[in-house]
Amino acid sequence: MSMRELVTGGAACAVPGSSSSSSNPLGAFANALIGSSSKTQGVLKEIPNAAAASPHAQFYPHADDPVAALPGSELDRPSLQSNPQGSEFIRGFRTADANGLADAWEEIQRQPHFDRVYEGATPAPPIQPSLDGPPQRVLSSFLHSFVDSSRSGIPLHPTPLPLLGLSQGDKQCIRDRSSIMARHIFADKSEEFINAQVNALLSSLEIENDIHARGPMPGRFRELEDYWNESQGVPKPGAHAADGWVTEFSQNRPHHGDLEAWPHSFEQKHGAGGWASEFEQEQAQLTSVDQMRGGNIESLAAIQQTRMLAHTLSQNSDPKFQNSKFLQFVSKMSRGELIIDDNQVKPASENWATEYQQQYNGGASWADEFVHDEVFRGPDHWANEFGAERLQQESVDDQWVNEFSKLHVDDWAEEFGRQVGEGALGDSSSDNWANSYDEFLNEQLAAKQRSDASRGVYVFSDMNPYVGHQNPLKEGQELFRKGLLSEAVLALEAEVMKNPENAEGWRLLGITHAENDDDQQAIAAMMLAQEADPTNLEVLLALGVSHTNELEQTAALKYLYGWLRHHPKYGTLAPPELANSLYYADVARLFNEAAQMSPEDADVHIVLGVLYNLSREYDKAIASFKTALKLKPNDYSLWNKLGATQANSVQSADAILAYQQALDLKPNYVRAWANMGISYANQGMYEESIRYYVRALAMNPKADNAWQYLRISLSCVSRNDMVEACDSRNLEILQKEFPL
Amino acid sequence: MATTKLKSDNLFEMMKIHLDSDTGKELIKNIGLVYQINITPKKIGFDEVSYIVDLKKEEVTKGKYEGGKPDATFSFKNDDFIRVATGKMNPQIAFMRGAMKIKGSLSAAQKFTPDIFPKPAKM
Repeated sequence: MSMRELVTGGAACAVPGSSSSSSNPLGAFANALIGSSSKTQGVLKEIPNAAAASPHAQFYPHADDPVAALPGSELDRPSLQSNPQGSEFIRGFRTADANGLADAWEEIQRQPHFDRVYEGATPAPPIQPSLDGPPQRVLSSFLHSFVDSSRSGIPLHPTPLPLLGLSQGDKQCIRDRSSIMARHIFADKSEEFINAQVNALLSSLEIENDIHARGPMPGRFRELEDYWNESQGVPKPGAHAADGWVTEFSQNRPHHGDLEAWPHSFEQKHGAGGWASEFEQEQAQLTSVDQMRGGNIESLAAIQQTRMLAHTLSQNSDPKFQNSKFLQFVSKMSRGELIIDDNQVKPASENWATEYQQQYNGGASWADEFVHDEVFRGPDHWANEFGAERLQQESVDDQWVNEFSKLHVDDWAEEFGRQVGEGALGDSSSDNWANSYDEFLNEQLAAKQRSDASRGVYVFSDMNPYVGHQNPLKEGQELFRKGLLSEAVLALEAEVMKNPENAEGWRLLGITHAENDDDQQAIAAMMLAQEADPTNLEVLLALGVSHTNELEQTAALKYLYGWLRHHPKYGTLAPPELANSLYYADVARLFNEAAQMSPEDADVHIVLGVLYNLSREYDKAIASFKTALKLKPNDYSLWNKLGATQANSVQSADAILAYQQALDLKPNYVRAWANMGISYANQGMYEESIRYYVRALAMNPKADNAWQYLRISLSCVSRNDMVEACDSRNLEILQKEFPL
Repeated sequence: MATTKLKSDNLFEMMKIHLDSDTGKELIKNIGLVYQINITPKKIGFDEVSYIVDLKKEEVTKGKYEGGKPDATFSFKNDDFIRVATGKMNPQIAFMRGAMKIKGSLSAAQKFTPDIFPKPAKM
């Protein structure tokens, strides 16, 4: 039987003290320790289950590697540098004779009173600790009585014991272990009972039960540590447990040159499963530590959430569900093998496994090593193992991990769709889920660009034919006038690449983007324009408008106020101090004053209109825009502003009229086309809206907003075939299908 | 802290007005459920502000639901809610990534699609 199976108890041994008994005491004990916490049960299941191999003799096939694996993790921890004895012991141990260990282990299994503990379907009478004999025996029997007392529910009495010669390390170790064990064994008892038991145990052994003697964990790890602690039911485990173990060994080493004693005393102190479970804990903690090193807090949050999701899903006992690749995917995510980093799913195993491998000398599949004595080869190996165990009949690709990290959408989505269809969510949504995963992928593709732009970083187009042009600015202006907005963008980009200080270049670029319905790029360009020329009124207004569109009130106020301040006429109205604590009411008041000062100034009214949009006083905004329009009837952008305001106050019919005016003045006004689509969609006229969106997109395929709205409208009319076209951004098909 | 919630506030305001329109009436006919939506600025569960989108009584109000239990309750971060409502993020994706938490009737939750929210027009 492999170590793994021992620990997890194999398929057959779920309940301690039941049929498992002597054939699988480790498993039983491990389950007893861990099984009480259902969360960890779920996690525990995830440990790869080796196919059944031959029994105990294989447990320590070669002394070197397992030991290297086992304590290797601790060896390389910085905290252990202060424990030379531990390292020395380990080194010494490595040279141990394998057989001796195996023999010793066999002997453990044969110990009668050991077995009796686990056969306890009927609670055995409390074992009286034999108080004579060598210290280990005393300790062992005393500890057994401690364990036993749980089964019979009889509180342990503090018993004065002869001097056991426990070192400080021993004591610490015992204290840790017993509190851990107590919590699990007595999970169904009250807190007081647990504490009483532990205290009794410790006082008998004259150990201070000062849990707070342990130092605080490094702050970063706390969140994750806490999570694991909860699930393990441990107050504060940690590096110290590992230290303690090593210390304890080092203590034992000089005392008992005989290696046989090690497994005895270990077993006595921790129970046969203790080591395995502890290592599992260690591993888990190390995993989390590594994750912390590799990843960042956000991905950890994702890991935690997916862990919970994995847990929830694993609760579903449907075997298909259990075996689904999706569950595996989520499990992987929850263990940090895949992380969501910057809106992408990446295999974290790259960092994690390499790091782990480097540092821990073949650690992760320590259990593998025991069984197969192989050096850890990387995530593939582990994944194979894991896959083999879980899927049992199915064969898993070697490259499953790599494949998966390339996100083979169809398999996964299909599978999950099927699962979900059979499960809780009902049939209708299984398609949606599958589709939505496709969409998820698409989102990844666009995500990087978007995230750049959203941070205010301007994203230049590649393959710009206007680079090297004589006078790209002039060219850009010409193209803009003609209404070829996307072309104009390219020309203007060439201009600002040539002359980064050219405020006019940036300004026009920003305006073009805004008209092309790309507020992100518009803002980015406008910010650069503002840097180049901080007093340019048009730039300030444009920035105010864009930020209003993005619902960023504070920023919008800042720019609109800046407009007032830098205006030659109204600058006096705007005291500079106010700029630091802008309240909407003040700004509005000032603008109204300005409007009274010069009622013929359309610009003031325009800015006022934008301001009222911010505060959602749509009627006032409409009034302002209308006033401005009387003064400037041919300003297409003004008509659009009016339309947008009307649309946002759900006067969609009027809005459409206003947009129409704007489009009459400027036929290639992408933003107005998109806005038309929105107005139709808001009225529930989805068919119409689709046509307008497609028209807008035909002019500017980069208008992300429009793609998203188009998708919504398409699904509203249940044109899923077209939804696919939309996801793959296939304009041709869409245009053919939905002409205007 | 009004400023951080402002973006979501806007959407709910629009929703409120939207419900008075014909399309809004359609929604009430088609869905007719009560949703509670909790919006938090940074992390789900902290500093929650709740909105009730009552598609039975045609109202959108702020604060927790008084008249019993909402059919479904959602929790979002401010930014994520905007993304879902404007169609930038699919609700299923949001759910899978943990950006959207759902409590209550799943079938009711499924009816909560981005298209029930009116989209903002751009000036």
